[in-house]
Amino acid sequence: MDMRAAGPSGSPVTRGRIVIDDVVKVYDPEGAAVMAVDHCSLDIEAGEICMIVGPSGCGKTTLLNAIAGFHDITSGRILLDDEVLCSAERPKAEPGPDRIVVFQNGALFPWKTNLDNVIFGPVMQGKLDRKQAIDKGRAMMADAGLSSVEHSYPGEVSSGMRRRVEIVRALMNDPRVLLLDEPYRALDSLTKSVMHEALLEIYYKNKVTIFFITHDLEEAIFLGHKVAIMTTRPCKPKKVLAVDIPHPRDYSVLTSKRFRELIEETNDAVHEEALKAFQAGEKEG
Amino acid sequence: MELTINDGSKAAPEDVLGVLRESTPFHGAPDGLLRKIAAIARRAQYAAGARIYNAGEEADDVYVVASGRIEHIFTSEVGAREPLKRMTRGGVFGWAGLLLGHTQRLATVTALEAAELIRIDTEALVKILEAEPAPANAVMERFASMIVREFTLPELLAQVRRLSGEPQPEEMSSLELTMYRLGQWAKSPRPYLMLIGFALLLGTWYLTVEVWKLPRFREMPGITTVIKEWLNPNPVYGLSFYTAEYYTHIWVSVWRIAQAFFLATMLGVPFGLFLGWSRKFKEYVFPVFELLRPIPILAWVPLAIVMFIATESAVVFLAFLASFFATALNTMLGVESIDESYVRAANCLGASKWQVFRHVIVPGAMPFIFTGLQISIGVSWFSLVAAEMVSGQYGLGYVINTSYMMVRYPTIVIGMITLGFVGYATSALVRIAGDYMMEWRVRELALSER
Repeated sequence: MDMRAAGPSGSPVTRGRIVIDDVVKVYDPEGAAVMAVDHCSLDIEAGEICMIVGPSGCGKTTLLNAIAGFHDITSGRILLDDEVLCSAERPKAEPGPDRIVVFQNGALFPWKTNLDNVIFGPVMQGKLDRKQAIDKGRAMMADAGLSSVEHSYPGEVSSGMRRRVEIVRALMNDPRVLLLDEPYRALDSLTKSVMHEALLEIYYKNKVTIFFITHDLEEAIFLGHKVAIMTTRPCKPKKVLAVDIPHPRDYSVLTSKRFRELIEETNDAVHEEALKAFQAGEKEG
Repeated sequence: MELTINDGSKAAPEDVLGVLRESTPFHGAPDGLLRKIAAIARRAQYAAGARIYNAGEEADDVYVVASGRIEHIFTSEVGAREPLKRMTRGGVFGWAGLLLGHTQRLATVTALEAAELIRIDTEALVKILEAEPAPANAVMERFASMIVREFTLPELLAQVRRLSGEPQPEEMSSLELTMYRLGQWAKSPRPYLMLIGFALLLGTWYLTVEVWKLPRFREMPGITTVIKEWLNPNPVYGLSFYTAEYYTHIWVSVWRIAQAFFLATMLGVPFGLFLGWSRKFKEYVFPVFELLRPIPILAWVPLAIVMFIATESAVVFLAFLASFFATALNTMLGVESIDESYVRAANCLGASKWQVFRHVIVPGAMPFIFTGLQISIGVSWFSLVAAEMVSGQYGLGYVINTSYMMVRYPTIVIGMITLGFVGYATSALVRIAGDYMMEWRVRELALSER
């Protein structure tokens, strides 16, 4: 069964289609033009988990920042459900609660309790009053198994739990797209595997489009409907792979034959880019 | 879950009591409490090889082994140093429900041979414990240390639930937490080391001045002279605990500091916030600020006297000036230290510019602001005393300076020591205010220190 087409109640997901159309981003510090993204085009269907794989510093984050509205683009355009987010005329999108980023190092506000973090979005936007937001937030935290840490501060709970709180904080806003920037990079591999299943579980309950950046091919194939392997800087898709392992998935997928085949099929492409990046001496970024 | 026989019948309390007494967490608990626990316990039998529960299931009961042998394996996410553990009579498992932030089983447990287990419903157990907070806290502490030692779990995970019967550290407000830590401090060797430090200083003073009469120290007021003068109802040089003048001097200095510090905080914090927040504002103002900041406060004295005809305002102004620079600079650094991700996250979540300022910039800069305020109160005392020495009729700086002129050496030392105490008290107040306003930080630091 392909879970992509159906929403939580079985209705098809109709929101969150992203079209990246011929996007170019040139950084121009002191006149030394550096091309970070090179005529990149990619279609991401509504409700799809799209994994962006590439070596560190290849320009994947630049793409994410352009969608989120943190950076401008040089040319091309990005559309969300046929609305233009950014284009050559309006190079920088406006950040907003329809596209929420889960940051590499986590960005829960340490000075707010987990519950206050979770209700931040709707309260700031004035969509819910504090009381309604608290009710909704507690329900969503309970759903994600986070009830007991509602009144703790982020600094008091484990990093895995912090990530879950952060994802719940994003989902509180009913976003069309979740943008995840290597969110599990800092976690050890065991915690990571648990977090993958937790993410899928949350995804099956709240269908959103997920744009997920990683440099870990196994993670990408395990989670994604679609895996886009990017070339090293300048960044554009080198190979786009549709992962035909049916959802819902669990950890048994990792040992399945098809999973291994897909890894083998793509490993060379990833390795080649990593090698290029290494030879070019690219730094993190 | 394939348990073979589970009659769920109430266990005979006497059997259960014996097993409970042999278990780590309940060992040593008062009989009355154990009887209540035994009353809610159920007995269950498992055949060899039967699965008792799986990781991820709901953590409802706590188990105590009465007979047989079981195998307990943590899931890898738990991070136990030794994930596999075998238990016999008296072994306790299934305590995940007692941990903070856990409602699911952390391990998979299997009977290795036919086993009899005592099952205690977690919520019912917590209710019984909450009714008797004093022995119950001991039980919970034993659970926590058992989980860390015997089950080799990381300490951060092994935090037991708070019992609502009595305030636990987690339930404390930051102020109470500070007091709690003070209590802990009193139990540690640190206060006694501190006393030794003081004893060394005072002893050296006594010996060098009064006993050995070393060349350079001979002329100084000795400790006994100073203390005698300080405690003298009719002081030789006019200033002691018993003279109203002594308190007038303290009060005048404290009042000046209060005004200067209040003004410097009210102006310096917003000024620093805007410096850090607005690039344009910083470009206009910061170069001027940086040029004025290194000028020593003493260099301002003549101008201050010219500017403010009344000496009182001149003295407050000088104390204010030093304080203001420290507060503003630290606040600005605080804003600049805030991780860009927090601002971006707030933008993503739909916060307006003003909301970002209110909910991200201000609380994010708070730790630096309070560092700044600590420095600020210190430098304001510093410049106040300097200013009082130059002008003024009252205040501790004035006392020290006039006593020097009038050759009242013991009074100088009285003034100095008083300054030390009052200065320390004011900066302690600032620290307490900071702890009160940044509960999140106090808790975070408390965790990392533990």
